[in-house]
Amino acid sequence: MTRLTVLILLGALPVGGAAQRGDWPMPGKDFAATRYSDLSEITGANAGRLRPVWTFSTGVLGGHEGQPLVVENTMYVVTPYPNVLYAFDLTREGYPLKWKYRPAVDPNALGIACCDAVNRGAFYADGKIVYNLLDGHTVAVAAATGKELWKTRIADLAQGETTPVAPLVVKHRVIVGASGGEFGIHGWLKGLDLETGRLVWTAYNIGPDSEVLAKPGIFQPFYDRGAELALTTWPAEVWKNGGAPVWGWMSYDPALDLLYYGTGNPAPYNPEQRAGDNKWTASVLARRPDDGTLVWAYQFTPHDSWDYDAASEMILADLVVGGRPRKVLVHFDKNGFAYTLDRATGEVLVAQPFVDVNWAKRVDVATGRPVVDSTKLTGASRGNVKHVCPTLEGGKSPASPAAYSPRTRLFYLATNNMCMDYQATQATRIAGTPFIGANTPYHAGRGGYMGAFIAWDAGAGKKVWQTTEPYPVWSGALVTAGDVAFYGTLDGWFKAADARTGKVLWRFKVGSGVVGNPITYTGADGKQYVAVYVGIGGDWFLLAGDVRSDDPADVRAPADFVPDIARHTSQGGIVWIFAL
Amino acid sequence: MDLRPVVALLFVTAACGGREAARPSDVAREEPRVFAGGVAPPAGAPQVDKNPFRGDRQSAAEGERTFGVMNCDGCHGGGAAGWVGPSLRDGRWRYGGSDGAIFQSVYYGRPHGMPAYGGLLPPGAVWKLVTYLQLLEPPANAPTQSWR
Repeated sequence: MTRLTVLILLGALPVGGAAQRGDWPMPGKDFAATRYSDLSEITGANAGRLRPVWTFSTGVLGGHEGQPLVVENTMYVVTPYPNVLYAFDLTREGYPLKWKYRPAVDPNALGIACCDAVNRGAFYADGKIVYNLLDGHTVAVAAATGKELWKTRIADLAQGETTPVAPLVVKHRVIVGASGGEFGIHGWLKGLDLETGRLVWTAYNIGPDSEVLAKPGIFQPFYDRGAELALTTWPAEVWKNGGAPVWGWMSYDPALDLLYYGTGNPAPYNPEQRAGDNKWTASVLARRPDDGTLVWAYQFTPHDSWDYDAASEMILADLVVGGRPRKVLVHFDKNGFAYTLDRATGEVLVAQPFVDVNWAKRVDVATGRPVVDSTKLTGASRGNVKHVCPTLEGGKSPASPAAYSPRTRLFYLATNNMCMDYQATQATRIAGTPFIGANTPYHAGRGGYMGAFIAWDAGAGKKVWQTTEPYPVWSGALVTAGDVAFYGTLDGWFKAADARTGKVLWRFKVGSGVVGNPITYTGADGKQYVAVYVGIGGDWFLLAGDVRSDDPADVRAPADFVPDIARHTSQGGIVWIFAL
Repeated sequence: MDLRPVVALLFVTAACGGREAARPSDVAREEPRVFAGGVAPPAGAPQVDKNPFRGDRQSAAEGERTFGVMNCDGCHGGGAAGWVGPSLRDGRWRYGGSDGAIFQSVYYGRPHGMPAYGGLLPPGAVWKLVTYLQLLEPPANAPTQSWR
């Protein structure tokens, strides 16, 4: 067999696993991160008959981002801190636990995690459930027994690193990263050995080529030339606390043997403390999973001045662009542009706004650079820059991954229609404390609604339909071969929509705001089920602190831009399962 | 007095000697703490239970500047109204609201991630921070929130 054939076979199957059709073994369903299922029992004609069949209180109140996994009739659920892992037996009535795993997690992580103690999920590979604990450890647990197989320290709380990201396991490598863009970390990606947990490689996102793993003759960014790009685009020494965290979603193309991930914001938020493009913050990087070698990189927001992390998923699809079939990567950036890139080279094929954008007029596809509106540039010397769209929460939150249906050839995503004022201030780096330097109040965007669920044609760069929502929409998307798309809302509705028209077919009030990602799977009885975490939190724990009820010593006024969200929801971690 | 030069100087000193001193067992009694800047508070707790600056507006203004310079607002929010860390202006305290209890929270840190600032800030600067927090007005709507 050729090397290429082996790689394709590896990519087509969950690594070494026994996952079956109808399972959901990894965060994005597949290595292309499509969040598309070919299950088709639930359709536009019958979705109105969906009903809840089971719920489970996780006992944890933090923001429930991420998603359950289902493998071989077992559902695996990871909670926010303290990162309990539950394994439910889907073959028995009431889905009793097979086991639960309660790791020791350093509570100091709660003060180092920027934005609530979230966890974005686990990955199933080779009979193991692999996930990150908030305090900078990766663990592998035997899927059959719940026994801990290994635990590896990957990150340093004292430097502001925490680890809510979901790992990606490919070719017996566990790929992990760390958050800390608000703490001035020196961002990295690491590759561990799946069998032992041993650290195999570390690739920094900023710094000298030797640490970025950019090797002459191999690293070929489409738009940039020269060596030491991640060093020369920074003031001396500043890059060492320059951010570029990894907290979103990863994907992998087995034919190209490329691993894709986005990096977060440069630190601090005050851009005047870090002159230059600040590569490779707010970028997509393509690496070899075996040894971390960097193959190409593209920066969405050079010299980011608005906290536009590029941590959103990179969805791999085969699309027709400009009349030609192309192997692309589609990315909905916080900065409000949807990018369609050639995933072999990093060339920008399409870049169009999917929400109202005013910090840049457009993206010049010849140079790959945004044409920035200079009146929207921020900095401590510029005072309060008014009305920048979108906000630093993103035109779409990276925490809310999109879905892609090869049937409709459309992408489905939750969006935010909000703008911000941005007042940057001088920030001081003190290890273990926040390194931010900006005050950024929000207001609703044009039209007054604050969110929407949309369908996007990434070949043409056009919105196909949109359903507006009163609040920002912060859940992931799911789309199925029944042409039904699923999403949840901050005010606690879980909805099914017609994937072709956007018409809402069914909705159910699920007890707390939804910031998790729906999945679907085949149950032990052969039926199609849909599951989702609910539990408002993440940034919404920060922005709407009046949804909190568990701490009598923490009482907050309503947020001025969502003064009534607490009327509709409160904290609460619940797993829901629905079926016809 | 503008605290900024003092704080900056303290920070530079701290940054030089920091890592080795960051042994949780030096000061922590129940659980390890995070040390701001990696510097543990000096051994021997200042045994003061009364805020020497209580109610003094000038001290509160200095404390407010320290609240920004030392990145307190990054966790507790602008105006200490609450962010990933709890609100400090609601008149309620997880670890006690007496002068000495608030001082201890800042100087020695608390479990669940409140860093110890005693390695970077002298006791006087911490007391001025306490003075600032004590003078904040609780929100008008607490404890009842209602909608029409």
